[in-house]
Amino acid sequence: MSRTEGSSAEIEFLYRQHGAALLLFAMAMTGERGRAQDAVHQVFVRLIENGSLSRAADKKAYLFACVRNAVLNEGKLQNRNTPLDPDTAWFIPPDRDYAAELNLRRALGALPDDQRQVVVLHMWGELTFLQIGDLLGVSSNTVASRYRYALAKLRDEMSAKENSCANSR
Amino acid sequence: MPTPDDERFEAHLKQFRPLVPDPLPTEELSRAPRHSFVLRAWLAAAAAILVIGGIGLQIRSGRVAAPKTAGDAASAGQFVPLQPLTMRSANALLATAPSYKAVVDTLAFPSQTAPLTPGKQSAIAVLGKERIKL
Repeated sequence: MSRTEGSSAEIEFLYRQHGAALLLFAMAMTGERGRAQDAVHQVFVRLIENGSLSRAADKKAYLFACVRNAVLNEGKLQNRNTPLDPDTAWFIPPDRDYAAELNLRRALGALPDDQRQVVVLHMWGELTFLQIGDLLGVSSNTVASRYRYALAKLRDEMSAKENSCANSR
Repeated sequence: MPTPDDERFEAHLKQFRPLVPDPLPTEELSRAPRHSFVLRAWLAAAAAILVIGGIGLQIRSGRVAAPKTAGDAASAGQFVPLQPLTMRSANALLATAPSYKAVVDTLAFPSQTAPLTPGKQSAIAVLGKERIKL
């Protein structure tokens, strides 16, 4: 197996391993599945063409940074700020509880952008606060603080929705 | 500090799994050359069959167009396959031959000797003319 084929296989393996979390992160930034999918594909296709992943020390954090840059660059080109699409699912819910999935998505959508990104990166991307701090260009303390705020808001938002649903029944 | 409630809530959130993205476009692209390779192989096989068939037809037509008489072929210095016996050729032989036995001999042992060009003699004829002194 040649070096190019080897790195391409490794990149495809990383896509299968982290693709879902990267797509979720891109969706949390763009609010649209189509744009998010394009950004993730764009990153991986470029990596396969250039074979430049071997230089990255922390490959997972590097992939998240690439996706973030791709979304930001695409956002600059498009010059638009789309609200989160309420009809596109982000998660496969436990026990096929699609109402809970919608509830979580709405709660995430209600968070400020920086908090939403931190929650997604830590919870589903499984990055440490230090890695997230490097990625976003802030300290790990700031990341931790944003995460705690975001988690509290999510819990309040989701429990309020669940209570209102229960009361309406 | 995270509270037990926080940890429980985090565990609850982690039960939601992110959607799997569509396959990479490169995977689809890498499949395309395989299809084109199969197509090319089929085309090459079809072309080879056509070429072989064409050559076969040419050989056959060449045999059909081979010299019709033994004399023509012999003058060209080639081996002539036996002409098939037909009613027409048999009748022609019977009409011209001196006897029935001669006709049968002609059909059974066709002459393969080539007519000599002017100025040349066969070795048997030369030996036959020599007088051997005993």
